[in-house]
Amino acid sequence: METAPAFSPKAVRGAIAALGVGVLLLAIGWYVGLFVAPPEHYMGEVQRIMYVHVPTAWNAMLVLSFAFLCALAFLWKNDWKWDARLEAAVEMGVLLSFLLCVQGAIWAKPTWGVWWDWDPRLTTTAVMLVAFVGILALRHLVDDPRKRAVWSSVATVISYASVPIVYFSVRWWNSLHQVQSTPQTVDSAMVTPLRIAALGMLFVWIAFVTLRSQLARRRLAQELAPPPFTTATVAAGGEG
Amino acid sequence: MTGIVTGGWEFVWAAYGITAAVLVAYGLRLAVGLRKGKEHDER
Amino acid sequence: MRAVAAAFYKDVLLGWRGRAQGMAVAVFGATLLLLLSFAVGPNAQTLRQLGGGFLWVALLFASTLALTESFRLERENRAIEGLLLLGVHPAAIFYGKALANWLHLFVLGLLLLPVMVVLYDPALDGIAGVVGVLALGTAGLSAPGTLHAGLASQTRAQQVLLPLLLFPLVVPVLIAAVRATSLCLLGDPMGQARSWALLLLAFDGVFWPLCGLLFGHVIEE
Repeated sequence: METAPAFSPKAVRGAIAALGVGVLLLAIGWYVGLFVAPPEHYMGEVQRIMYVHVPTAWNAMLVLSFAFLCALAFLWKNDWKWDARLEAAVEMGVLLSFLLCVQGAIWAKPTWGVWWDWDPRLTTTAVMLVAFVGILALRHLVDDPRKRAVWSSVATVISYASVPIVYFSVRWWNSLHQVQSTPQTVDSAMVTPLRIAALGMLFVWIAFVTLRSQLARRRLAQELAPPPFTTATVAAGGEG
Repeated sequence: MTGIVTGGWEFVWAAYGITAAVLVAYGLRLAVGLRKGKEHDER
Repeated sequence: MRAVAAAFYKDVLLGWRGRAQGMAVAVFGATLLLLLSFAVGPNAQTLRQLGGGFLWVALLFASTLALTESFRLERENRAIEGLLLLGVHPAAIFYGKALANWLHLFVLGLLLLPVMVVLYDPALDGIAGVVGVLALGTAGLSAPGTLHAGLASQTRAQQVLLPLLLFPLVVPVLIAAVRATSLCLLGDPMGQARSWALLLLAFDGVFWPLCGLLFGHVIEE
């Protein structure tokens, strides 16, 4: 089995720079969204949650799609760096999905009077959150690095493939009971801070995933390194 | 319920605050992990 | 194809020989139906509305036991490695087992149906439709269930891992099967049950091939 991909200090430095850019963009986008942009007519100040909720939604989808690609790449190429990236991406995906559900609940309470309104997108996110937490649990419960990598890739591929079907069935199930919730049209004064915040969050998660996958590489290096004793003994003993 | 929602800043702060807190906490966790690993390598 | 038939026959035979265990799983499912009714209370009207839903929840929970069991003998005797060494294609092993699990889960559903009827008192004219939904829905549980059971059986926490991995995946099956079953039992003025059945069919159409393709990765050494 090939050895683990090397730890790269350069990648870490690049990631920290990206993180700085991301935080700056987020600060700008959120400042404008919170204090400069006008409140929405019907939803008032609560609608400002959009500047954190929509960027989180876009980026959660991106991260999970990236995780899917890493899983496919690992199954196809058998290169450990994809497993390291997968580990990082799944963790980040769980984080953003969790935040999405929390933000959605905080938005729903003043708007609809309930913490959860079974919005199809948010409900699908909740299902995906559970699915990817399960993949994290799988990774924790499997000690053999190769099995861990293969199995979490398989689980990721299947979970990602289920997203459209889950979304569609929830939307259909929900449509029998209520009108669609979140508004789609966005005033132009609101689009710019939204995009800035979304871009900022993109830089942030790319930085986090890079750093996290470096940590994963380091651990893989420890796990895959042959113990010094055994190699010498096997070499001395020869084939059986 | 009337058509217009009034007030609600506490919800806005809650949403932004939790998001920022979680992201910062995760960043710190990564920083600690990287630093610990660096010491281990340099030993 | 012959390998699939042989694998199917083997798993059905093993299931038959272990039918005491299978009956225990059915009793577990029946108990669940009873306990769920306690969560609602003795209101006949409410129970009638919820019968279809609870049937599927009970079936889903009981299925994790059945699916875990389907890999127990293989795991204990390292039988899958033997099959692979003989040159059997992993997909054949998968489809044989998934088909057998489908049969087991369908029978499990049929056993739970009268229990649900007794406790939740639905009208009986839609029962044929419910049997059809049971067939389609258990197929939807079986394919991803067999894949993840094969995976989980090789870990040290399979009892928790299988449900954790499987349940989010089969949410569409649960939603569609519950809707279709409830429509059959409670009345379907707009003829929607067929559409939900089609959704189940679509789910099966996606996941039976996909899981078969990926199973090889799960059991390779």
